[in-house]
Amino acid sequence: MAVVDVCVPEIGDLQNEPITCDVVVLGAGPGGYSAAFRAADLGLKTVLIERNPVLGGVCLNVGCIPSKALLHVAAVMEDARHLGKHGITFAKPKIDLSALRAHKDAIVAKLTSGLSAMAKARKVQVVQGTGTFRDPHHIEIALASGGTSFVKFEKAIIAAGSEAIRLPFLPVDARIVDSTGALALPQVPERMLVIGGGIIGLEMATVYAALGTRIDVVEMLDGLMAGADRDLVRAWQKHNASRFNRIMLKTKTTAAEARTDAIYVHFEGEAAPSSAEPYDMVLVAVGRAPNGARIGAEKAGITVGDHGFIAVDRQMRTSVPHIFAIGDIVGQPMLAHKAVHEGHVAAEAAAGKKTVFDARQIPSVAYTDPEIAWTGRTEDEMKKEGRRFAKAVFPWVASGRAISMGRDEGFTKLLFDAETHQVIGGGIVGKHAGDLVSEIALAIEMGSDATDIGKTIHPHPTLSETIGMAGEVFEGVCTDLPPSANLGPHRP
Amino acid sequence: MSLIEVKVPDIGDYKNVPVIEVHVKPGDAVRRDDPLITLESDKAAMEVPAPEAGKVAEVLVKVGDTVSEGSAILKIASAPDALTAPPAETTEAPFAPAPSAAISAPSLETRTNPAHFPLPAGMDVGNVHASPAVRRLARELDIDLTRVAGTGEKGRITKDDVRRALVGSAPQGGAGIPEIPAQDFAKFGATEIRPLSRLKRLSGPHLHRAWLNVPHVTHMDEADISDLESYRRTLDAAAKEKGYRVTLLAFLMKASVVALKEHPEFNASLAPDKENLILKRYYNIGFAVDTPDGLVVPVIRDVDRKGIIELSQELGAVSEKMRAGRIAPADIQGGTFSISSLGGIGGTSFTPIVNAPEVAILGVVKSVTKPKWDGAAFQPRLMLPLCLSYDHRVIDGALAARFTRRLADIVEDVRQLVL
Repeated sequence: MAVVDVCVPEIGDLQNEPITCDVVVLGAGPGGYSAAFRAADLGLKTVLIERNPVLGGVCLNVGCIPSKALLHVAAVMEDARHLGKHGITFAKPKIDLSALRAHKDAIVAKLTSGLSAMAKARKVQVVQGTGTFRDPHHIEIALASGGTSFVKFEKAIIAAGSEAIRLPFLPVDARIVDSTGALALPQVPERMLVIGGGIIGLEMATVYAALGTRIDVVEMLDGLMAGADRDLVRAWQKHNASRFNRIMLKTKTTAAEARTDAIYVHFEGEAAPSSAEPYDMVLVAVGRAPNGARIGAEKAGITVGDHGFIAVDRQMRTSVPHIFAIGDIVGQPMLAHKAVHEGHVAAEAAAGKKTVFDARQIPSVAYTDPEIAWTGRTEDEMKKEGRRFAKAVFPWVASGRAISMGRDEGFTKLLFDAETHQVIGGGIVGKHAGDLVSEIALAIEMGSDATDIGKTIHPHPTLSETIGMAGEVFEGVCTDLPPSANLGPHRP
Repeated sequence: MSLIEVKVPDIGDYKNVPVIEVHVKPGDAVRRDDPLITLESDKAAMEVPAPEAGKVAEVLVKVGDTVSEGSAILKIASAPDALTAPPAETTEAPFAPAPSAAISAPSLETRTNPAHFPLPAGMDVGNVHASPAVRRLARELDIDLTRVAGTGEKGRITKDDVRRALVGSAPQGGAGIPEIPAQDFAKFGATEIRPLSRLKRLSGPHLHRAWLNVPHVTHMDEADISDLESYRRTLDAAAKEKGYRVTLLAFLMKASVVALKEHPEFNASLAPDKENLILKRYYNIGFAVDTPDGLVVPVIRDVDRKGIIELSQELGAVSEKMRAGRIAPADIQGGTFSISSLGGIGGTSFTPIVNAPEVAILGVVKSVTKPKWDGAAFQPRLMLPLCLSYDHRVIDGALAARFTRRLADIVEDVRQLVL
């Protein structure tokens, strides 16, 4: 461990008096603003440092929210097209890209301005600039307006997030973008390559496919959406077989040349085409790297790991006990809802509350079409560990609501502890899976078992019913499936 | 030399028994069977002895900790020569102090791996069955959920369980009983505080529980023990020479077994669902012993298979053991019926408390010579008052009267005992 230099002669040279506060939060993404707001609500004088002019971070500005605005549009277009089969035919859609862009931007603007108002209402002082630690109690801010400022703090919460990983061998060209570039909707390309078959890449692929782009996806691993159970992904893949042009698994992108007519990309591996393929746009979505190495953490004495992650305990304390870290920068999964909860824990711990991050599940959602959502333990992971578990599946072909919607390709799966029959995980593939998974999340946190879920009356006809019925399947009392589909102690 | 981890031995059917005394500290030399710690179970204190001689290297428990069978309590460094060496031998190398003494304030330099930061007590609750709201409440109140028993469905820990854990009381059924308000007695005159004996502190809640849960009725009768008494005196005179006594209690126990066999409802417990009676096919009879420390009810096992002589000897030995305070949990468990005798002291009648989950208890007081009409004249007869308290949920008044009468019949003519 580095010896911390506590002599800070530079501070004395400042032209400005440092801003003093109880808590400084570095980064105003969902984790950062939640931590700052919670700290302020607990009566702490709070400063929030953000390099962008608006609050909300990647999630609100160039991530979750704008992508959902576009995915909603894509879903409506898909549904409209689908209605042709049921006797309702709409005219071929006309796409006004600048109007669509404006719609998306208006949504983002509405949410971010709401955040600014809430910061003001809490008297959280927002400083726009890039903050780096100078020592265990000072952060230097390169102000966006020019010049520097200092914050002298009692406690700090690092919420500096992550950045899209770049592929160094790709040329610099406006047609090669990351998720931020793709969300900017620069054009509707005729041919597009998505490098990386994870959630972000496939969500953007879904948007552009709806707008009419022919899409190839290339993924180094042997499957898409790593982390999700394979049965969920298979159902998605079956439904999407015709949506995308090519899905190239176990294949690497090796080089790209930017020519005037297209980006020519070379591949290597199992599904690699024989020659370089031309694309009008290339989306690089190969993952995100934490910003741990960019905040001067070493000057505060904070240990940063090799990949830029900052190790924390369950109160979100770093190796320097009065400095906390939350969100993407402390590890996977890089999800806004995880960061928010960690932010609350850090703020409460900073205020001296007895608190700890003890979540038993963190849900993941791919807002693709159909959606895939899962939480708690996954089947694949438990099989690998050799842990004994039990599972119950309710297929949506038996759901009146799913059939009415013309979308019965999905299923709902619950995973139980083999001994206690408590729910320890679950996954859903199908329309609105992301909204449905919350019930499984609550069941896990509450320690509910199959009977609890099966005995809870779910409204009919809904998709949420499929969760109750999966519980009944486990108990062997489901009457919406043939008797042979029932498992469990009360099996007919 | 090697380190031996000393564990709590089989202590009967008890779990989470508090440590009330630690007799040794690191560095102490102990001999085989020296007491190491004292545990407190339902009504008895028991010592955990050293399994072999050696030096205490590390004490893993402190007063107030709770342990179960198999819990490690301390480590002894045994040296082969220590078995014969006198306990004061101090030639061995000094031992390291207990780890608790070695923990210093965490410094920046030592906290390099945040995953190993100590969390405040009770914060890592593993997989206990408790919702997020309950987990949060427990953290705020510094309650370790791994030590809280859940009373909710399927053992779920509720907020009430956490609050109860905070006040340190076991869950209680039924409506809350209003406390007797505290008073400042010193206003009226001088007072002094004398702590209740450990036995009283332990038996108090048990008696309170029984009194609150069992609808008690006490039935009174009396038995003519004139003939029995003369027979007993003969036996006792012979026994005295052999170093034991024959008391009325042994006869009452034998007579009770006969009555219990004829009325199995009295040798029973109400099932927890209160819909069934659990009839016991064994006859273990407890008897109240007044010790300097308080009341103890040791249990004599298989009374139906023991004769008066054997019972008398066992009663003497057990009473002696109880008065000496050497009470093992096994001595006070497994009773099916109890007898409380105040005969040596006096009184005309009393209402004993049923030793729940048993359903009846026989109380006897001092026998008195009374005039009895034999059809022609009054005769002086030695009469023994019998007071049978019973659980009215299980036993009705008529049955209790029949049982008591039968008991009286047997002691009036002890020849029946051999039938």
